[in-house]
Amino acid sequence: MNTRRITTTLSALTAALVLAGCASVASDGLRGDVQQQTQSRLPKDAQLASANADARKEAQDRIADWLKQPVDQDTAVRIALLNNPDLHAQLAELAAQDAERAQALTLINPTLTLGRFTNGHEREIERQLGFNLVNVITLPWRSRWLGWQMERATLQASQNVLLMAAETRRAWLRAVASEQSLAAAVKMNDAAQLGAELARRMAQVGNFNKLQQARELSIAQESAAQLARARLAAATDREQLSRMMGLWGTQAAFQLPAQLPAIPRSAGELRSGDDAEATALRERLDLRALRRDLDTTADRGGWAGVGAVFGDIGATYSNNRSTDRETGHVEKTRGWELDLPLPIFDWGGSASARTRAEVRRSAALLQSTALRARGEARTSWSRYRTAWDLAHQQQAEVLPLAKLVQDETVLRYNGMFDSVWQLLAQARATTQAVVNATNAQRDFWLAETDLQLALTGTSPGETAALGSSASNAASNTNEQGH
Amino acid sequence: MQRRNFFKGAATAVTTAVAAASVSRVAMAALPEPASQSSADTAAPLVPPNGRPYRPVVTLNGWTTPWRMSNGVKEFHLVAEPVVREVAPGFSVNMWGYNGQSPGPTIEVVEGDRVRIYVTNRLPEHTTIHWHGQRLPNGMDGVGGLTQPHIAPGKTFVYEFVARRPGTFMYHPHADEMAQMAMGMMGLWITHPKAASPLIAHVDRDYAFLLSAYDVEPGAMTPRVNEMTDFNIWTFNSRVFPAITPLVAKQNDRVRIRVGNLTMTNHPIHIHGHEFEVTGTDGGPVPRSARWPEVTTDVAVGQMRQVEFIADELGDWALHCHKSHHTMGAMGHDVPTMIGVDHRGLVSKIQKIVPDYMLMGERGMGDMGSMEMPLPDNTFPMMSGTGPFGSLEMGGMFTTLKVRAQLGANDYRDPGWFKHPKDTVAWEWTGKPLGADAPRQTPPGSASGAPSVRKPGTDSGHDQHH
Repeated sequence: MNTRRITTTLSALTAALVLAGCASVASDGLRGDVQQQTQSRLPKDAQLASANADARKEAQDRIADWLKQPVDQDTAVRIALLNNPDLHAQLAELAAQDAERAQALTLINPTLTLGRFTNGHEREIERQLGFNLVNVITLPWRSRWLGWQMERATLQASQNVLLMAAETRRAWLRAVASEQSLAAAVKMNDAAQLGAELARRMAQVGNFNKLQQARELSIAQESAAQLARARLAAATDREQLSRMMGLWGTQAAFQLPAQLPAIPRSAGELRSGDDAEATALRERLDLRALRRDLDTTADRGGWAGVGAVFGDIGATYSNNRSTDRETGHVEKTRGWELDLPLPIFDWGGSASARTRAEVRRSAALLQSTALRARGEARTSWSRYRTAWDLAHQQQAEVLPLAKLVQDETVLRYNGMFDSVWQLLAQARATTQAVVNATNAQRDFWLAETDLQLALTGTSPGETAALGSSASNAASNTNEQGH
Repeated sequence: MQRRNFFKGAATAVTTAVAAASVSRVAMAALPEPASQSSADTAAPLVPPNGRPYRPVVTLNGWTTPWRMSNGVKEFHLVAEPVVREVAPGFSVNMWGYNGQSPGPTIEVVEGDRVRIYVTNRLPEHTTIHWHGQRLPNGMDGVGGLTQPHIAPGKTFVYEFVARRPGTFMYHPHADEMAQMAMGMMGLWITHPKAASPLIAHVDRDYAFLLSAYDVEPGAMTPRVNEMTDFNIWTFNSRVFPAITPLVAKQNDRVRIRVGNLTMTNHPIHIHGHEFEVTGTDGGPVPRSARWPEVTTDVAVGQMRQVEFIADELGDWALHCHKSHHTMGAMGHDVPTMIGVDHRGLVSKIQKIVPDYMLMGERGMGDMGSMEMPLPDNTFPMMSGTGPFGSLEMGGMFTTLKVRAQLGANDYRDPGWFKHPKDTVAWEWTGKPLGADAPRQTPPGSASGAPSVRKPGTDSGHDQHH
């Protein structure tokens, strides 16, 4: 019996040691896992920042290479993934969690208790080697749970990577659109300043009165203010992009393309909305993370009561040596002790109830997130589709119409039906139409980014309201009559 | 161009005249078939095929309607209908007119003729015709609501009266007339004298036209009927220069020109190179003792003037309304004056913003006549027309009187540009130029004699501490 017990104990110990051996810290801090989770959801060849110093240096060289060209959307994301310090922090956090996991799976060190007791005739030396038995027995389960927890943490980190990529994409779109708008504002301002200068010269030779001149001047002033606002917006948006890409100093002088990418030509090239919900439920990482939570809590549920009752089973091996102080007779006792908590007060009921509640909470959370994912898939798709309709309307109808109005105004100017000020005012209005179209184009790509995130990544969070460009348009196309 | 079209127009008029006079199917029915005209060219004078003889008029860019004799009554059929009038080649206007054109056909009768006119209404709204200047029974006067019920769309009314008085008259609606006349509903009525009269001379050439004005947005086709004063198309018989047929005369012909005004303002009609007398109005012939020589006669709103002169001076003489903006095509009335404005350094900047921009008007507007810049569709340029010496810088109420030594009696063809005898054209001085620039007293933008005190700080000048 004894032998067998010892054998059992030994085998349990061996297993624990083996498992403890498995619970090593991932050498790359789980970056590979995150990379794998996000690969298909990121631009081709996008790499996560490595913890390795050599790799980091190599990454810096690659970034320096990229920055020689105007930075496109995907490259901005690639740079951000390699260079964004927040992302570094998050990945380091993941590595830390992994280390914690490994630590948790390492067996609790046995306790060696040494005691020396003396009385008048006896000296007793007590040596006990004790360890927590449950710790050993539950190791496989705990290892599984912690594995799941790490998978969950990896999924969470992956979501953060995707959110960061999306945020970089948004920043890129805003920065490029702002620069386009700034170019337009410069043109509008040029037109207004020309009008004011010409008005000044008109007044100089007596063809305009002060009122007429002042009206043109006020247009020029308004337009100069608008230009200042456009400059600030362009600088701010660019700054945000630099921050996302983790660039500063000379690197922050990167170039951007002059234009946003063209929107898809026809509605047929758009992503269909039919499978949006199914895709989101299948692909979203936040749902997968919550499913892991549910698995973990459910699996733990079975153990909760037992764990509560027998959580403190301790096994102690004692080797006591008593020496008769007078005779020098030594008496050795060897044996083991088992500490068993008596389930008198706590039969593990409350612990079980808690885990049952946790399972329910976990399930409800999953359900709620799935519900949200469905909703987000639908609304993101609607936003995306409407954004395309609006942008396409701008491209296919509004801009050609603005051009027609501009052309007809030139013809009217040719026939001396309109003045040069009306021509310049129309040029400003046409330029504003280009700004509105640019904004609509930007909104489409923002909506597309959100849709990608909502379908395959995670919750896109607050999205930019569509139609903001329309309100800009209303405030900026004041008719300038003469 | 004018010559070729002239013949085409004449042929059309003759064909329709023959058709209307000979088709018995129409005679069987009570209603005479209306003649219709598709061309805006000047038709040849219509020599009366029957009835009392007379010397017919030439309606400038118009035509005279044929008639049917029915038991001694001259029967005409006018159809009021929407038409598209070619106001100039490349510029057509949606109008309302009669028998295919606006203005409608000229009605020519002889003093004492009994006239029966069928009026069919193909307009979308009711109408009437008022026979402006005629002595007639009150119930034939054509004032809707006052002397007769309106002619509803699709209905035909009959007017019948005797042309009692010789002279120059017109016809136009007296129902919703502001809209209907703004849309071009009008026509000439000539009553020739039955016998020789001491106050009515025999003339070799007898021209007639109405003055009308429209407001057509550049690039649009339909006149704005609610406009009251700000018109932009000024016409002789709904035609603008250079698309108006020239008036031609053989040297020493006696020429009569009959002008009626159905615009909202007066028109001083001016003829170069000759003096004329106003020999008649819509009130009748002017007594000889009341005539005096003129080179311009003002034709007030709703009036007719009949002027006569001997075309004894050879050449191409301008004949136009003397309100200078009435010899202009469509233009923006709110466009500021650009004369004298320094554009240095600005033109290329504006072209950066508006690539097709061209500088205009800083020296005046004469450049417009020669620039030929693209305009909105269906828009006639503000000034166009080219003469033998270059751009004419005219449009609207302008044409020429061409007097030639060699011309057949009934030849109304455009003889081309006048060939001036040697040394009779103004020439450029090529002698010694003016020694120095004439000093300029006052720079533009400052009043002469105005105090030159400026508020401190408002001037960049150096003299504020004086």
